[in-house]
Amino acid sequence: MSHGIYLTDAPVRRPQTNGNPLLRKIQRACRMSLSEPDLALNLDVADYINEKQGASSRDAVITIARLINTRDTHTAVFALALLDVLVKNCGYPVHLQISRKEFLNELVKRFPEHPPMRYSKVQRLVLTAIEEWYQTICKHATYKEDMGFIRDMHRLLKYKGYVFPKIDDSELSVLRPNNSLKSASEIQKEQEIAQAAKLEELIRRGKPEDLKEANKLMKIMAGFKEDNLVQAKQAIVHELNKLKRKADLLNEMLNSTEGLQNETVEELYGSLKSAQPKFQKIIEEEQDEDTELVQDLLKFNDNVNQILEKYRLLKDGNTAAASQINPAAMSSAIQDSHTGALANELNLIDFDDDMGSEPSAPVSTNNATTSAAASADPLADLLGDLGDMNISTPSNQLSFGQGGDISLGSSQPAKPVLNTDPSSLSTQNDAFDLLDGFDTASPSASKTSQRVLVNQSSNLKLDFELTKTSNSSVDVKVIFSNLSSNTVNDLTFLLAAPKTMTLKLLPQSGNSMNALVSDGITQTAKIENATLDGAKPLKLKWKVTYTVNNSPVEETAVFTLPKV
Amino acid sequence: MGNSVSKALGKLFGSREMKILMLGLDNAGKTTILYKLKLNKIKTSAPTVGFNVETVSYKNVKFNMWDVGGQERLRPLWRHYFPATTALIFVIDSHDKDRLNEAKEELYSIISEKEMENVVLLVWANKQDLKGALKPQEVSDFLQLGNNLKNQLWCVVGSNALTGQGLVEGLSWISNNTAKK
Repeated sequence: MSHGIYLTDAPVRRPQTNGNPLLRKIQRACRMSLSEPDLALNLDVADYINEKQGASSRDAVITIARLINTRDTHTAVFALALLDVLVKNCGYPVHLQISRKEFLNELVKRFPEHPPMRYSKVQRLVLTAIEEWYQTICKHATYKEDMGFIRDMHRLLKYKGYVFPKIDDSELSVLRPNNSLKSASEIQKEQEIAQAAKLEELIRRGKPEDLKEANKLMKIMAGFKEDNLVQAKQAIVHELNKLKRKADLLNEMLNSTEGLQNETVEELYGSLKSAQPKFQKIIEEEQDEDTELVQDLLKFNDNVNQILEKYRLLKDGNTAAASQINPAAMSSAIQDSHTGALANELNLIDFDDDMGSEPSAPVSTNNATTSAAASADPLADLLGDLGDMNISTPSNQLSFGQGGDISLGSSQPAKPVLNTDPSSLSTQNDAFDLLDGFDTASPSASKTSQRVLVNQSSNLKLDFELTKTSNSSVDVKVIFSNLSSNTVNDLTFLLAAPKTMTLKLLPQSGNSMNALVSDGITQTAKIENATLDGAKPLKLKWKVTYTVNNSPVEETAVFTLPKV
Repeated sequence: MGNSVSKALGKLFGSREMKILMLGLDNAGKTTILYKLKLNKIKTSAPTVGFNVETVSYKNVKFNMWDVGGQERLRPLWRHYFPATTALIFVIDSHDKDRLNEAKEELYSIISEKEMENVVLLVWANKQDLKGALKPQEVSDFLQLGNNLKNQLWCVVGSNALTGQGLVEGLSWISNNTAKK
């Protein structure tokens, strides 16, 4: 009634009430002075909600609904962008809030009874959001029965004559459940968060039937019913069976003559590999409880190990022997080369060992500090001697070693830095003669990486090492160097990709660097679903915060990825 | 809308409504107290699995009393009941000296929560009818609330759920010490 927090038509400035950090963060993310929705700020809100839980998702969603209904389109668009981020990153607690009747009514408050001739931007975005939820969380979420009102609102709008925009499949894939193997404790953790959110919502509503349900839920949560455990166990077995099928399939494909570059193979390999650490965890957790499962898992793990090893050998054999050396055969030989590669597997590896002095082993195995720059030089060395190969140095940010782009006899002369010692020339040439014997083996085009400088401030140098892992996915290794003569502490790095892509940040190798350490911290980000060769360059927004000399520093910018 | 109208009317007549959360170890007597207040009857109850909620009117104040089970596995769930609480009632079995320390720990873990910063705290030193039960003063000394709570109002009242002694006093203390918003 009196002076709560409410928004006027005036632009949102620094809030007068500084009490609630959540509201402050939301307002910051939606303020008008931004030129476009700020992913870092939005993710910051999502992180805050994930950390605090409790009433935070409710407060956030209510505030956002108000912002969406401000008369200022700019703010409303930001609010919708923020909401999108929250729905995608905060899971059930936020899903539960957006499926509340009150929220949905608020969301369409500015929709006229009869659809207008032309939708406003905000209306279109709201319709998009509802359609997206309808297609995803209403159908796939674990607790989809709680999302009934979204379905109802969708139906109502349709009935009134509103037309929903078509949603790109890639958009939808983000909200689809990613089925991955989780250990019992992880599943239970997820359940706990979801149930806690539900319980609090029921208590808040406080109608008799809600309270009855809350009581029931409490019994489940307190473990008086075994539901949670049973469910967790079922989920594990279910995922495990899926993985087994995947393993079988991969094994089959490796045995067949199909190419390693095949995306399916990559995908299968990836999912098996990422599942492996989980085996360990499940085995640890279940050791005393379910010996049958553990036995089964151990056996399966051995199996997976063998398959993965096989895959690696195949892959290594390819890259080591032929990747940059026999580019002419590259694109055409890919399909049929693998029988050869398989047969030559051992030889190729031996050969690689013979070349031991060359650090040009497969780039994929390079560790954090030897970047593409390091590995490229000897390669360039080797190739440069042979004559005019078109290899761009990593510094000029163009692709080197990509697909068929490398071609013999191009006009670009060898770089002056290359070692053109004639004595080495002959030996190198010998090496190539040797290689010619293996001309069936083809290089793996996708395994090269390049290092680009992203940002350099007085304290910190930031490099990306880009490795294309398939046509639509790229690994970005983020490498930090300390340029100051002070220790850099508390370094945290945030990365945001366009929402059509899946971005996975692996843990950072550390968060402090001594003075003048180069390549002191690394962190790998995996971007999937990226349109790499499309017309639109891939843009990444990054933000790094750290303290140096006891003063906090924040650097942020948008970085346009060069073609990988 | 209707809600706010009734609230405004309520203000006119001085009636208020507040959420009261009643917690404490198992077997402290929370549920017995709740139904003594509500029905003025002694209802023998099995250990509460889950929670009970009843509205108790006293003078012009409507107390929405939430009594949440106190068994160990239910305690982690207490925090879900914290939002929007006006007053916390912590019930202690004054006769169960072995578990006084446990009760004290639980109490402090509740009131150290951010959400409970602004609640007023009433401790009912229950089961005063039993021989050898600690007196309210002794319970109060043991809890050392005075030393540890700087900004919160608190009060320890002796109670006996069977006779109802101390219960009304407790509620009137709460209603007198919560701001009339």
